[in-house]
Amino acid sequence: MPTLTIDNQKITVPEGKTVLEAAEELGIQVPHFCYHKELGAVGACRMCAVTVQEGSSKGLKMSCLIPAEDGMVVTTDDEQSTTFRDRVGEWLMLNHPHDCPVCDEGGECQLQEMTIASGHGVRRYAGQKRTYNNQDLGPFVAQEMNRCIQCYRCVRTYQDYCGGRDFGVMGSRNRVFFGRFQDGTLESDFSGNIVDVCPTGVLTDKTYRFKSRYWDLQEAPSVCPHCSLGCATIPGGRFHELQRVRSGENQLVNGFFICDRGRFGSGYVNHPERPRQARNNEQLIGMDEALRQLDVEARGLIEQHGPEAVLLLGSERTSLEANWLLQQWAKKLGCREPVLAAHGPRHQAAQVVAFDLSDRLASLEQVRGSDLVLVAGADPLAEAPMLAVALRQVVRSGGQVIVYDPRPVELPCEFDHQALSPLALLDFLTAGGSDGQHVRELLQHAESPILVGGADLLGVEGLQRLKKMSLELSNDQRPCLIYPLLSNPNSFGAALLSLPEQDDLLTRLETGRVKMLVCLESDPLLEAPESDRFSVALTKLDKLVVLDYLPTPLSVHANLFIPTRTPVESDGTFINNEGRLRSYAGVLEPGLPISVAEDGGHPPREFSTVSPGSDPLSASRILQILLKDDSSLVELHQQMVADFPRLAGLTGLTPSDAGVRVADAAARNVVNIDLPEQPVGTLQLIVSPARYGSDLLSRYSDKLEPRFSSAWVMMNSQDAAERGLQEGDKVILDTETGSFCLPMICHPQLAAGCALVENSAALASLVPGAGISYCEVSREVSHE
Amino acid sequence: MSDPLLTLVLILAKLGVIFGVILTLAAYLVLAERKLLARMQLRYGPNRVGLFGLMQPLADLIKLLTKEDFLPARADKWLFLLAPGISAVTALLTFAVIPFGPPLELFGKTVPLVVIDLNVGVLYFLAFSSLAVYGIALGGWASNSKYALLGSIRGLSQLISYELSMGLAIVPVVMMARSFSLTEIVMAQEKIPYILLNPVAFMIFLISILAESKRIPFDLPEAENELVAGFHTEYSGMRFGLFFVGEYINLIILGSMVTVLFLGGWHGPWLPGVIWFSVKVLAICGFFIWVRGSMPRLRYDQLMHFGWKVLLPISLLNVLVTGAILLGMG
Amino acid sequence: MHIWRDLRGTVQPFWITLRNMLRKPVTVQYPEQKQQLSPRYRARLILSRDPDGNERCVACHLCSAACPVDCISMQAVEAEDGRRYAAWFRINFTRCIFCGLCTEACPTLAIQVTGDFELAGRDPLKLVYEKEDLLVDHCGHNSEYNFYRQAGIGVAAPRGTNSTESEPVDVKDLLP
Repeated sequence: MPTLTIDNQKITVPEGKTVLEAAEELGIQVPHFCYHKELGAVGACRMCAVTVQEGSSKGLKMSCLIPAEDGMVVTTDDEQSTTFRDRVGEWLMLNHPHDCPVCDEGGECQLQEMTIASGHGVRRYAGQKRTYNNQDLGPFVAQEMNRCIQCYRCVRTYQDYCGGRDFGVMGSRNRVFFGRFQDGTLESDFSGNIVDVCPTGVLTDKTYRFKSRYWDLQEAPSVCPHCSLGCATIPGGRFHELQRVRSGENQLVNGFFICDRGRFGSGYVNHPERPRQARNNEQLIGMDEALRQLDVEARGLIEQHGPEAVLLLGSERTSLEANWLLQQWAKKLGCREPVLAAHGPRHQAAQVVAFDLSDRLASLEQVRGSDLVLVAGADPLAEAPMLAVALRQVVRSGGQVIVYDPRPVELPCEFDHQALSPLALLDFLTAGGSDGQHVRELLQHAESPILVGGADLLGVEGLQRLKKMSLELSNDQRPCLIYPLLSNPNSFGAALLSLPEQDDLLTRLETGRVKMLVCLESDPLLEAPESDRFSVALTKLDKLVVLDYLPTPLSVHANLFIPTRTPVESDGTFINNEGRLRSYAGVLEPGLPISVAEDGGHPPREFSTVSPGSDPLSASRILQILLKDDSSLVELHQQMVADFPRLAGLTGLTPSDAGVRVADAAARNVVNIDLPEQPVGTLQLIVSPARYGSDLLSRYSDKLEPRFSSAWVMMNSQDAAERGLQEGDKVILDTETGSFCLPMICHPQLAAGCALVENSAALASLVPGAGISYCEVSREVSHE
Repeated sequence: MSDPLLTLVLILAKLGVIFGVILTLAAYLVLAERKLLARMQLRYGPNRVGLFGLMQPLADLIKLLTKEDFLPARADKWLFLLAPGISAVTALLTFAVIPFGPPLELFGKTVPLVVIDLNVGVLYFLAFSSLAVYGIALGGWASNSKYALLGSIRGLSQLISYELSMGLAIVPVVMMARSFSLTEIVMAQEKIPYILLNPVAFMIFLISILAESKRIPFDLPEAENELVAGFHTEYSGMRFGLFFVGEYINLIILGSMVTVLFLGGWHGPWLPGVIWFSVKVLAICGFFIWVRGSMPRLRYDQLMHFGWKVLLPISLLNVLVTGAILLGMG
Repeated sequence: MHIWRDLRGTVQPFWITLRNMLRKPVTVQYPEQKQQLSPRYRARLILSRDPDGNERCVACHLCSAACPVDCISMQAVEAEDGRRYAAWFRINFTRCIFCGLCTEACPTLAIQVTGDFELAGRDPLKLVYEKEDLLVDHCGHNSEYNFYRQAGIGVAAPRGTNSTESEPVDVKDLLP
């Protein structure tokens, strides 16, 4: 632990810290560009010059490159360093186009700040400015190369950290250019991060182009609702419109970066068809009236038909508070306990994670620091993109990643892939075969092994086998932790609150005793398998009540519809896949965005104290009104902790916290499910989420549309050949859910005996995580 | 017509004339003050309503009558409503004893040009000028506002302090006239007004009534830059108007008192008595306005210091000296 | 004791006010007589055009950021040629205090003050000016400045052709 003196202040920092980091800890701002907390330093910008007065090497040094030494004396404000920084600032501005007024970075531009910090004010150089031609980098990132100061941050982020291959640095001497070889969309799923790291306006968010200035944005720390990882985000909005999302910092979870799905998947908040007014069948009504009707009718039905008459359905994408309040409302109404997730099998798998695995969960930070990761039955880029980046860090620091998955998994790093069909994967997890033995041996010898398991593909059975494996591989020196992937932002939370061994949604609906179904931010038609069984069950209902913020198909059928707020418009808590309580704060008040309402024209010229579309209330607020409960969020959390001691971490949790893990729980020992026998001649059906547009929120986000995939069915080349099929053929896919006519594509890396489809807007009725099922693929019979 | 009935009719007639004249005069005094102050400050003053702004008082009246009558939260409702009335009515009532002209021969009867010729007119005047304090004190207290309360407290202590000197300044006059009746005091000045006989008493009286009327330089109860508007901060509309009008009526009354006590009342050559009286009263009012345009406001401690340590000893001394001289002259 | 000074101090103001009463008032009788305004008088705001006749305003939000009473709001959009301009631009003159900070903040000299101070009316909405009310057909105080000819991002002229710029570099050239 070296102790050094910077500007007459003494500080002790851990070994290996640089002088720049030490100065920052003291609150001394040394101007810098190329140094970034996550990316480290390269010494490219020469901006962070300080003078070392005492130390092993004296004189003017780059503070980001010299490690802190014991007894070092450093000054940052002496004549030599300030003059040097002033010159460097001036020199970096030589070719700058001076177009801050039309630059989206203006106001949050590090170049603006550092130029002022370095002292440079008036341009003295009278020569010509170097210019570049820009490239079209696709729908997400806009480029203006004239503003570049060659700090190399973009390349270090895109290539080194996130593993993208199509963006790099070209040219020589003062022609250094950052971009692609030619115009074209950036291929990486993490391309948006170069917008965040770029210290000037070279790379800006195209979807946010010219929308707002940083100082006009309403921002608050939030949690990404697009997958179960719970990455830290900072959404920013203005005029009731969520205009952009940038990544927050959470070292335990995502670090500094987020994926493109989380960054550009914010359109659902401003969706033009988003329902913003309560509705009784066709008639628009006020919120008070809607809540009164809901309360009166629910009570009436229970009085008349007993506790089975009303069924409350919670959700894996609504907040922990709302789910808990739904349970309280059920108690108050006297109806049976609510079902907290529409998707039964996924919910059961999440319960295995929330209870059986709760004492062996790794954090994403631990994954990044691991030396051997076994990924079993998971496609990180589709299910939890930031895990893929974490796996890259494993490989970058010399570790190894082994993937056992039927799908042709892609990762932004080197890894070993073994394609096993879902059934074979389960065998593999119970040490089946030489392969299983070999992997176990590797894990046994690893220093900090992590098992990543996708709950969708492994299911209850697979997760329990994974746990057994983890127990076997743990020893006294180190545990072998599990990093499960769930499907929704609050899957863990819904599972944690649920009662053991309760009937699932369809079983209860099909008894016919349910007269009224209340769906809280949940659409079983889209989010659960067997949607046709569900739609039949719907016809038996007297009354369908939907509370949601998305224009889901179910909300169209609703007898009573009540609009709710999105996570960016309300305060709440999710529990991410590693059991971490992640709290988020509301950024915007709900309302019809001016850009949507006025179509680019000026806002209405009228006086009004209410803005249109400001009706929606957060789900938890609606339930509090129904419960006639006026307690604040803090009081609510106290009640929840008293009810569920595992949630003790809620006390004092704020949105800017990294989040606290829920307490461990005893295993629930869910009864093993019998795996169905595979009929001869069938293929194992694998439904995988598409990278974009599988979760409902990204499906309703227009910004992501360029990334939406079409529907297809994928087969192993050998299986296809056996059936006489060729790539591009139209085939009939016969599944338990129904038949689909899809184009077929072949892939040699798909496990043999499997057929893969992707769940997306184009193929919405096949939902991942429904368990093992079989299908047949045959050539489409032409009717000619 | 029986005698008492005729007296009653005459009194009522005089009352009516006086009310009409005084209220109109008060209204136009406001205009005159604004015009004069404006000219002293190189402005024009109100000149938009009517010719030379002569309809300004009417416009002000319409404005005051149509403005919202505002009652502050948790104010003492009845006292709040009553206070402006007290202020205006006491000012008006004082005029009952003021002789504004020589007695008139009417219907073969001598009609004194005074509403009621009390033989203790001076005491009546003192009593009513003390009563006027209630308007301020109650109004300020009932408003439930710190500024109003502070203003009314200042008003109270200021009036108490200066009433003493004012009373003591009248004593020499009473001694010289040997009467408490204001008519007789005027009669006694037929040859020489008391301002020449006793200028010290005149000065003391003038300063004291400046304080009594709460005008610059003694306008501490409504000091705008400290107390918003002092005791009438919370008043609006015609209730504020009553305070306002009361203040100007008071100005006329005090001007009349100066005229009666020191300037020889209606006495004067060539012109009829009533005109002389009016000219003298208006001159005093004009002087008040001039003072307002020229003097700064005193500090509160200066006010108290001057009242108790300067004015009061001088007036006591004056009483003694006057008494001694009168005694000496037999 | 300063009796003389105090006496003089008491009497002199009476003389001064008396003298003033005999002087001519300095008041300007406004609606009939108009005052000669300074050319730098700050009243109603306008949005000027550059010498080429294009809108100067690039909707950079600096005026609204500088505005102490938050009376300016706008939305920027991009034209086909990459020009940034205001889709709508609104100044609420019922709030404006005519401090001129917006004109000082404006980097393109678009927003400028004029001497038209007669902004009164009974309908507050008539004092909410939209872009079409603000935009004028002249350059205002400065008839030469064109932001896009200084800021080199290829809007007013093709990239690399402004007077201070060199031709765009060929990034695939490996010559030293």
